[in-house]
Amino acid sequence: MTSWKPLAIVPAIIMTSAQCFAVTYFTVEQAQKAIFPGASFSPAGITLTATQRKAIEKASGVRLRTAPKIWRVAGGGWFIVDEVLGKHEFITYAVGLKANGLVQQIEIMDYRESYGSEVRDPKWRAQFAGKTAQAPLKLDQDIRNISGATLSSRHVTEGVRRLLALYEIALK
Amino acid sequence: MKSRLSEVRRARPLLGTFVEITVDGLNASDAGHAIDEAFRVIEEVQCRMSFHDPGSTLSFLNRNAGHLAVPVDHWTFHVLECAAELHALSGGVFDVTVAPQLQTLGFLPVAGSGGGAPVSRDMSFADVELLPDRRVRFRNPNVKIDLGGIAKGFAVDQAIAALQNIGVPRGLVNAGGDLRAFGPEGFPVFIRHPDDPGSALLSFRLTNAALATSGHYFADRIVAGAKRGPIVNVRRGQLAHIVTSATVRASRATQADALTKVVMIRGEESLPVLNYFRADAIFVGRGGKTRCSSDWHETLDLPS
Repeated sequence: MTSWKPLAIVPAIIMTSAQCFAVTYFTVEQAQKAIFPGASFSPAGITLTATQRKAIEKASGVRLRTAPKIWRVAGGGWFIVDEVLGKHEFITYAVGLKANGLVQQIEIMDYRESYGSEVRDPKWRAQFAGKTAQAPLKLDQDIRNISGATLSSRHVTEGVRRLLALYEIALK
Repeated sequence: MKSRLSEVRRARPLLGTFVEITVDGLNASDAGHAIDEAFRVIEEVQCRMSFHDPGSTLSFLNRNAGHLAVPVDHWTFHVLECAAELHALSGGVFDVTVAPQLQTLGFLPVAGSGGGAPVSRDMSFADVELLPDRRVRFRNPNVKIDLGGIAKGFAVDQAIAALQNIGVPRGLVNAGGDLRAFGPEGFPVFIRHPDDPGSALLSFRLTNAALATSGHYFADRIVAGAKRGPIVNVRRGQLAHIVTSATVRASRATQADALTKVVMIRGEESLPVLNYFRADAIFVGRGGKTRCSSDWHETLDLPS
């Protein structure tokens, strides 16, 4: 390599489709199998009271906007699906907790980036609720392997902190 | 460029960002095991080298190496040796002792490293001694090391080694944009546009190589009225701002990651150090002018 050549970058390749850049890694069932192979699950049927929600928010320092979905793992442990919302990202993730409340594994289930205002619109987000990898939404599966500063995972790690507080207050 | 049916991809929050691992050519169960193993390796790198974790080897080093020679594990020592080589070859531009400036500017936390150190132009990586038996000593207790500019790349390299050792024939590890591909056919990659994170500067197929991109898209703060990112030109103690995006392709992600910082600061003058590592670069400078190193330019087959 001996020199620099100019590079014309016109037009810019649009990575986000009309909706967003999105990847689905796991359905709920797939995430359950990945974190607790061979186990069976039953919905925990837990509804948090207002007092519990306040306590969870206070203990973790993180707001509890939507109620996480919780399953009891037969034999001990918990499987939880939660979502976090950032400025440009909307992420669903799964956390497996051991019977003693320690984190077993974290897996991202759905990752969505959007640079319009869609991500803040609950109606837009509702399109993704309960969707599986086979959902007929037209998301561009060809866009992958992006190099360039990506988002910080701070929201997810804060979300996990919130779930650990939830375990202490409502599941233990 | 549809993904192949046998590709398995997973992502976890690690290293302060999202790490995505793609494995191809194994059945679903073996792919899952291989990916678990690679993520374990990434967690191990995080455990040793995280500036943000007061319990990491690096934090222990930062608190104590100013007072005594601290023995470290072979991975941490290896990364420091790479940092030393890059420091020497870049004329001091790549410098992992930049932590105090980043703490002052609010990009790094103070706790864990033993207190915020005063910013000093007199201290540099030259004050870090790499001693026999993997011991490290700082000539000055105010020296603090941040491996953020190189550890992600190192984690990618270790994860790739783990996948290859398990027998994965084709795969890719992407740690927040620092990525590396191995195996036949390569993978399509997209370089984020510095001015519009929702679109790509360009895309191409990456085969058996690492790629890293530095830019300011999500990490900017407003400092003294002007947008600044956390890449510091240590010589001047200022934040670099002329190059808005630098992408480096190299055989190893450790060097690709580190070299983006040199290209961000030196721009066209980074050619000799890129040549030394047989690395290529694309960078976007003032006014959106984009430059590409000539060998890479030929293979990209784009208009000039």
